Amino acid sequence: MSDYDSDQESYHGGSGSEPEEDSNSQVDRSPSVSEAEENNQEEEVADEQEPEGEDLNSENEYDEEEDEEDNRPSKKKKKNERFGGFIIDEADVDDEVEEDDDWEDGAGEYGIVANEVDELGPTAREIEGRRRGTNLWDSQNEDEIEEYLRKKYADASAPIKHFGDAGEELADEITQQTLLPGVKDPNLWMVKCRIGDEKNTALLLMRKFIAYQLTENPLKIKSIVSPEGVKGYIYIESYKQTHVKSAIENVSSLKMGFWKQQMVPIKEMTDVLKVVKVQTGLRSKQWVRLKRGLYKDDIAQVDYVDLAQNHVHLKLLPRIDYTRPRGALRASMDSEALKRKKKRRPAAKPFDPEAIRAIGGEVTSDGDFLIFEGNRYSRKGFLYKNFYINAITADGIKPTLSELEKFEEAPEGIDIELPVSNKDNSANSQSLSSGDNVEVCSGELINLQGKVLSIDGDMVTIMPKHDDLKLPLEFMASELRKFFKQGDHVRVVGGRYEGDTGLIVRVEQNRIVLFSDVTMHELEVLPRDLQLCSDMASGVDSLGQFQWGDLVQLDPQNVGVIVRIEREKMHILNMAGKLVEAKPQSLNKKKEHRNTIGVDALGNSIQRRDIVKVIDGPHTGMHGEIKHLYRHHAFLYSRLMTDNGGIFVCRLRHIALAGNSTNKQAITAPQNGFASPQITSPRHTPGSPFGGGGGGGSGGRGGGAGGRFSGVRRDRDLIGQTIRITGGPYKGAVGIVKDATECTARVELHSSCQTISVDRRNITIVGQQSKDGRLTSSYSRTPVNSMMTPGYREGGKTPVQGSMTPNYEVGNRTPHFGSTTPSHDGSKTPTQAWDPAAGYTPARVTDNDLEYPMDPGTPFAQTPNTLYGSSDHSYSPYQGISPSRGSNSYINTPSPINTASPRSIQYHQVPSPSGSYASLMSSSSVSSPGLAAPSLTSFGLPPGWQTTDIFVRITDSDLAGQSGIIRDVSEATCSVYLPEEERVVTIENDNLEPIMPKSKDHVKVLCGSYRDRTGNMLAIEGSEGVVLMPDEKNPILIPLLHLCLAT
Amino acid sequence: MFYHIALEHDVLLHPRYFGPQLLDTVKQKLYREVEGTCTGKYGFVIAVTHIDNIGCGLILPGQGFVVYTVKYKAIVFRPFKGEVLEAVVTQLNKVGMFAEIGPLSCFISHHSIPSELQFCPNTSPPCYKSKEENIAIQPEDTIRLKIVGTRVDASGIFAIGTLMDDYLGLIH
Repeated sequence: MSDYDSDQESYHGGSGSEPEEDSNSQVDRSPSVSEAEENNQEEEVADEQEPEGEDLNSENEYDEEEDEEDNRPSKKKKKNERFGGFIIDEADVDDEVEEDDDWEDGAGEYGIVANEVDELGPTAREIEGRRRGTNLWDSQNEDEIEEYLRKKYADASAPIKHFGDAGEELADEITQQTLLPGVKDPNLWMVKCRIGDEKNTALLLMRKFIAYQLTENPLKIKSIVSPEGVKGYIYIESYKQTHVKSAIENVSSLKMGFWKQQMVPIKEMTDVLKVVKVQTGLRSKQWVRLKRGLYKDDIAQVDYVDLAQNHVHLKLLPRIDYTRPRGALRASMDSEALKRKKKRRPAAKPFDPEAIRAIGGEVTSDGDFLIFEGNRYSRKGFLYKNFYINAITADGIKPTLSELEKFEEAPEGIDIELPVSNKDNSANSQSLSSGDNVEVCSGELINLQGKVLSIDGDMVTIMPKHDDLKLPLEFMASELRKFFKQGDHVRVVGGRYEGDTGLIVRVEQNRIVLFSDVTMHELEVLPRDLQLCSDMASGVDSLGQFQWGDLVQLDPQNVGVIVRIEREKMHILNMAGKLVEAKPQSLNKKKEHRNTIGVDALGNSIQRRDIVKVIDGPHTGMHGEIKHLYRHHAFLYSRLMTDNGGIFVCRLRHIALAGNSTNKQAITAPQNGFASPQITSPRHTPGSPFGGGGGGGSGGRGGGAGGRFSGVRRDRDLIGQTIRITGGPYKGAVGIVKDATECTARVELHSSCQTISVDRRNITIVGQQSKDGRLTSSYSRTPVNSMMTPGYREGGKTPVQGSMTPNYEVGNRTPHFGSTTPSHDGSKTPTQAWDPAAGYTPARVTDNDLEYPMDPGTPFAQTPNTLYGSSDHSYSPYQGISPSRGSNSYINTPSPINTASPRSIQYHQVPSPSGSYASLMSSSSVSSPGLAAPSLTSFGLPPGWQTTDIFVRITDSDLAGQSGIIRDVSEATCSVYLPEEERVVTIENDNLEPIMPKSKDHVKVLCGSYRDRTGNMLAIEGSEGVVLMPDEKNPILIPLLHLCLAT
Repeated sequence: MFYHIALEHDVLLHPRYFGPQLLDTVKQKLYREVEGTCTGKYGFVIAVTHIDNIGCGLILPGQGFVVYTVKYKAIVFRPFKGEVLEAVVTQLNKVGMFAEIGPLSCFISHHSIPSELQFCPNTSPPCYKSKEENIAIQPEDTIRLKIVGTRVDASGIFAIGTLMDDYLGLIH
């Protein structure tokens, strides 16, 4: 009631009183009050305060009020909102409890006329009581009624007293509950009314009521309610429908409602009077739909909102009936056709002035607008018209695409952005969640901060962070924006960085800088895309099959490492150190060999997870962990690197293994025999699985190396052993090995019924001495052993090792024979060729230990024949080695220590001392029996022996057994001229073998320092041929193996 | 901030240690397992100062392991938002600088470094220095910073700090 003059939502015109009230002069005197009381069925508190309604007004409006009262007779017919008495804000009850108290003591102060107080104070309650009572009351006398009411209201006010000031909110709520209408209360009847005449009708009925109340047949209605914004209806409160009927009889504006009145269900009665808060949410450019009328359900766009007038100016597509003649042509249409037409709803399409003129309509123009029949149309054909705000719905309106298209036909730039902004708004409200810190961004409380307590649709309740504001406040979601402070840990919930988390390092008006947890990047995001994140997640580190830090294939030649994952794309650091962006679809995950090995600048073998130091190149001085190895490049990770999430790429030759115990061994070994870095690399391979113990066992590992590349091998010797886990989460647990590979073992635990995979490093065989003591002894016994798992090192295993060694060799050779990779065999380059010569043979490595120290620098020519034999064999297993192997060895080439020259010398030297094929074989068998097998077939020549103009025999193809002359040599194949068939065929290098010359033959040297020289063989001496070359004076002894019949 | 607080830890002991030195082993194991760790709630456990009570060992059925609940007192370091600390700069770049406060690493964004300090990538080592060149922050320098936010992982705490306040910055 304090809101008398605020632009009120509900208007209650009404009259109503019970028969008892007839005697009550108050009703006459101040109908406003009584009406209010009557109307406020639901709100007893309000009713009780009725008098105070005036009381409050008395402060400001008392005079006014009185004037109104005085003038009422003349003003009655006016529909004037200043009729304070008729317009009562009923719904605004919240404060009234307090006001009630105020009233008690304040009435006098505020100078309400004494007799008014006398009359109003008690009667207000009585009236309410009576109204609530039944007609039975008629029979009771006034005193009884009064007493009854006093009792009744003593109770009703009890909660107020009980809860007092402290419990205000609660009391309020409870009293509100008690005020709800029940079955005993009169019903509300909804009566159809002429639109626009609602208020007048209410006033009219009130006058009617007053006029009749002293007659024989007073109107038995209780009140009339005409809420603001309800069009076409008024509500009449009464016990019976017949009362309503009698009341509305002969009221012209209610004629259409005479036959049918609808009762408002009790539960919905409160809704009738619920104040629909003015849709402040309406903003320009918003989409709305009309609720009724010609444009019902049409989409419209808000042009501007006029809250004071309760109007909204909409832009929409007009529905004009272009078939109905206007103006002068109108008469020509017969009325029946006209009627028929009327029923049809014209289609919505842009205003067409030409069509209007065609039907006789007049179109005038007003500035930019065209005016037709009082409506304004834009040049684009849209109708601009005022509508009542309550005639539209604005909640959750989503224009369909076709509707949007219609609106966007007129390409006003603004329209195009509309759907976007609209979406933003909805997104904004969605992304708020309770617990968020928000800031008010518009209205009087702008910049007020608070925390979201609850969200109800578009309304958000926040608890303000302000000393003077203790109560929660409600805001529209659009009035709030998220608010973050520096140092908050947040998650990005939208935009391109969605899913990332980070700490806020800077807050600006519409921009927040995050420091991402995962990538260590700074991200710039909008506040609305952020959300406080308590779970401290690790951010976006995976997308589909890709994870942060994965090695991916960019194209057949290039790989890269994912350094940042965004919603739709990934940032990839490629081998060149450049950041590229790629879609996940365009990438392949690169399958990586677990044991890919590279060789660093110092000739150490390195592999993933090794810590290396960058000694050259752009990142000199950095330390990092190897994440990936690929050909010449290593992707390293360092926490200190701020770019790309700490990942950077280096060439292998620019990095050096950061020192640890294995290192020393690694360094000395190449010094001994640095000519073959490969020897060291395999030895290091076990570095990770076997920890630091591998130093002395280079030889043993050499044997293992080949095996490694043939895939994961099962280690049968460990199976069945009882082991103890010495590290990791299962440390201390004891179990039986069910299965084992070189680096992991499946262990069935004794304690729990579980089989787990354990790193081989982390197990020891139960009942064995500690490793350390054993390590040395195993060294001394057989270097091979030391490379084995702890279990191997333990005593009593020697026979196992013995059997193991050939195992390895077989392992590596078998695949090699079957599938000789052409690239290897075909590769003619000496570098590739000497690689094998340098010796991969497991057995030979033992020799190396003896041999290299003797003479690291000297060519192999001086070394015993057997040695070469073995080295010759060695390349056969080597051929079986995977390409990565080759690349490794290739990489080594440029490294300062392992210069190519000694190796090439080696290579050339290797063959020279060797004897015939046969002798070679025997020599090879010296080193290890297992080796003999491969050497037999590979007839003792390094790959790439093929040269032109020699006779070769085809060993394996459909031409097998034929011999021919090599005409041309390419990478992996040779063009062979077959004299028998007089044609040239292309044969894989592997399938060729040289034809051994006989005495007096013209020969060509296949390898050695005389390679490609030709001459005549004078004689054969043992395994060597005596060759006389044209430009040499003396004949030269060359192993028969290295000679071939030439043309 | 450092606290001296009472904590609890369960020590799992292998049966082979059952013997006269059992409690010593438990203590040793406690030191090993607790010191240097980090929890979100208490921060970094710097050192165990006192072992209050070693509870009775509970044999785990089926395993033979024994669990001792040990109550101990430890000094912990728990960084807080708003705390002012002294730190050693470890690295500098254009994005900001990293500093270490004992076990805690802290990032100071360039947004949080006073604007008069500019990053000079060309000096060796790179540093943040003021125009007048009277202040230069280099790696290994000690700075005073204020923590503005922390992120707690399972295994550690990461903080971001600021130098934008009175008396913060290089300590001479």
